[in-house]
Amino acid sequence: MTDLLHDHPSQLRPVRELFNLDVDMQVPVFEHRDEHVPDIDPNYCFNPDVTLAILAGFTRNRRVLLQGLHGTGKSTHIEQVAARLNWPCVRVNLDGHISRLDLVGKDTIVLEEGKQITRFQEGIVPWALRRPVALIFDEFDAGRPDVMFVIQRILEQDGKFTLLDQNQVITPNPHFRLFATANTVGLGNVTGLYHGTQQINQAQMDRWNIVAKLDYLPREDEISIIQGKVPRYNDARGFELISSMVAVAELTRAGFAAGDLSTLMSPRTLIAWAENTEIFGDAALAFRLSFLNKCDEAERPLVAEYYQRCFDQELVEPQALQLTAI
Amino acid sequence: MAASSHTPQDAAAEARRQQRLEELCAALIRAQSAESEVRYRGHRLEWRGKAYPLRAPHLQLDSQQDDWGSCRGVADAIALRLRHHDGDLHRHWLPAPPVARLVFELLEQLRVESLVPAHQPGSRRNLHHRFSAWSNRFLASGQTESHLGLLLFSLSMMSWVQLGGGPIDEGTEHLIESTRMFLLREIGQPFGRIRRHREEQAAFAEQAQAIALTVSELVDDLQQQLADGEQDKEALEQVGKSFGLLLDLNGDGDEGGGEAGGAVARFSDGEAAYRVFTNHFDKEWQADKKVRPELLERLREQLDLRIREQGLNLNGLTKKLRRLLARPQNDGWRFGEEEGQLDGRRLSTLVTSHADRRVFKQPRDEWHANATVTILVDNSGSMRTHMGHIAMLIDLLVRALERTGARTEVLGFTTGHWNGGKPLKEWQRRGRPANPGRLNERCHLVYKGADTSWRRARRSLAALLKGDMFREGLDGEALLWAEQRLLAEDTDERLLLVISDGCPMDTATRQYNNQDILDSHLIAVADRLEREQRIRLCALGVGLDLSRYYRHNQLLDLEHSPDNRIFDEILALLGRTLRGPHAG
Repeated sequence: MTDLLHDHPSQLRPVRELFNLDVDMQVPVFEHRDEHVPDIDPNYCFNPDVTLAILAGFTRNRRVLLQGLHGTGKSTHIEQVAARLNWPCVRVNLDGHISRLDLVGKDTIVLEEGKQITRFQEGIVPWALRRPVALIFDEFDAGRPDVMFVIQRILEQDGKFTLLDQNQVITPNPHFRLFATANTVGLGNVTGLYHGTQQINQAQMDRWNIVAKLDYLPREDEISIIQGKVPRYNDARGFELISSMVAVAELTRAGFAAGDLSTLMSPRTLIAWAENTEIFGDAALAFRLSFLNKCDEAERPLVAEYYQRCFDQELVEPQALQLTAI
Repeated sequence: MAASSHTPQDAAAEARRQQRLEELCAALIRAQSAESEVRYRGHRLEWRGKAYPLRAPHLQLDSQQDDWGSCRGVADAIALRLRHHDGDLHRHWLPAPPVARLVFELLEQLRVESLVPAHQPGSRRNLHHRFSAWSNRFLASGQTESHLGLLLFSLSMMSWVQLGGGPIDEGTEHLIESTRMFLLREIGQPFGRIRRHREEQAAFAEQAQAIALTVSELVDDLQQQLADGEQDKEALEQVGKSFGLLLDLNGDGDEGGGEAGGAVARFSDGEAAYRVFTNHFDKEWQADKKVRPELLERLREQLDLRIREQGLNLNGLTKKLRRLLARPQNDGWRFGEEEGQLDGRRLSTLVTSHADRRVFKQPRDEWHANATVTILVDNSGSMRTHMGHIAMLIDLLVRALERTGARTEVLGFTTGHWNGGKPLKEWQRRGRPANPGRLNERCHLVYKGADTSWRRARRSLAALLKGDMFREGLDGEALLWAEQRLLAEDTDERLLLVISDGCPMDTATRQYNNQDILDSHLIAVADRLEREQRIRLCALGVGLDLSRYYRHNQLLDLEHSPDNRIFDEILALLGRTLRGPHAG
């Protein structure tokens, strides 16, 4: 841990080489892989625009907010970029239970030489600020207002952070980076899909230098990701099957956008469907178990129609689903 | 009425089935084409607020004869057309002669159908099924026995095969063989090219136009050559009819994407053009003031008895409504937590028992519906027969909604007299000026206001059962009234549920104005509300399909007493309405 305090990116590498993107840009890369550096997923598909936005965050110290529907892989995207730069990463999920004290730090009672004494224990924010790490706030729009104001202070690039109770001023490490991911663009729960999200203060939104939107991947990429996760379908027949699955997912997303469905199929569900198909050997059964049963009963006929289009097969609702021992 | 025969029930069931099928097809088209503004309005397909013409013959469905597979095929075909078709380009190349138009439209439709993606084998099958079903019907109708019929049929089949359809069965192959050879001599060159250009509409249209014009000339020649031309002209008309094409060509439907605002303008004109001759006699009443207290008490007892006998699941209904309407809200605290904010009242615990660290509190999320729901009941004469069931339905809805935390209003609308009352007389006295506008006195009834709880409004709600106030209905104005009341509410979500069994009706107004004055006013108001989305609008049609007026609507079958199934249908409708179309 001590070496992390003094570590810094020691070399510049071309983006072309690292990410196969056609731009003349050099990015700073750490020499050593610290334990905080995420693992590299060799099958990961980078979205060019979003990758550039994240790289700008790393090289030029921009504050980057990634926005997109659930399952589009926002946090993973940042992590995978960091993994290739050997940049240490810390993820904090800003659900409604994270309090201001969790972030800043609090006095705790510890035993020292048999005596109870109170000691200030630093929260994640001062810890990260002192080190060359990328701090990622997940579910940024679900954070409580008091938490948001803590973050607002460190959103400024060279904003010094004051620990009021400690009379300490922390100057951020020059290689501290800040990212966030959110399901909404700070507008709160407009679609009814994301309960618990809040409207983000405009002053807060203004402090993000880059806001990038991550949509679902193009179908070819999505297919190859699933094929990567479920190697059994890594052939021509598997391609056909996965292609139909992705087609169903696309229809559910379009149906959601048109207001006909209240559930949509994220890549995560798609992968689960493919894996379950491998287990049960039956795409229709796996579909019912991994997606259809999550849908509102009234919407199931429509989902069955989607299924018919993509699989040329009727999705009959079984009276009672009996699972035999696997 | 129920005893007369099974027919009305069958008809109602059939209408509900039809509505469900249309909804399913429209939803599918929306998903496949990524066009959210596709819907059926009064059984006709509408795109961006305008009728969407189906100009290719095989897209004309016959609800009596065609099966579900055909419906699916047509839905897929329309979705493909919305996706791959450019209306401006199409109009640019569209030839003038009727026969040429017919051929050109058919070719264009087959072109977009040939673009069905490979990963949708089901759509491919549906399209194939539909085209085969249509060609079989055409064959069976015997129209291939005339020269013209055979010519057009052969061309359709050839084009279908050329653009990736088929295979054709042997008998048909045999039938069209000689015509096919003859046609190929005339249109061979452009016909050979259409397959190559199917992905570019402009290049395709150039070839298709050439084919269409040649075929049109051939048809003209054929007519002149034949001595009994008279008979064949008739046959041509026949063919045209069965192709369902020539008639529709001059119709109002225009798929011009550029002038999508036209319909909207027309609708809002409808709202602006609506006039009221005088609102001097209009009234707004508290419903319970119009019924004697003793009678009201008796009516309430009747209603309570009915509800008790019905055995409806109020708790279940409340739960489902809560799921629809309620949102988590920071409301109160959870005490005795191991972390969070310090709870002052428990500080003593820290002193008395060191180990117990449950001295914190955390904010708690309560599910609470911050919504106002207005139920607007049509109090027209024909509703009287259904009022027993409807009152029960409303009473339960109000109770369940109130339990979720939502505010509710129950409003009614009718007219003061049959066939125009005092305004009509006044109009006559003033010398009958032209286009007077609404000529009856408007009556609005408040059964329950948003500020009144169900307990206090219990008796007043029973006034729904007193049918002698029920006369005619001015739906458009009632919507405006309900809108105003809803907008005055301080709430997150505003929902307006209309219950009606017919179109707006006031005999005098209709007689002395444009026939459709009330209709178009209602359509205009509903359309504006749906577009503005400040309030969510939906409608329950009692035995009547209201899709002509309301985007979100549900046919209600009140032949039987309301049961839990009916509430499920209503909940599904509310769900659809609340969801609305989302942005990307």
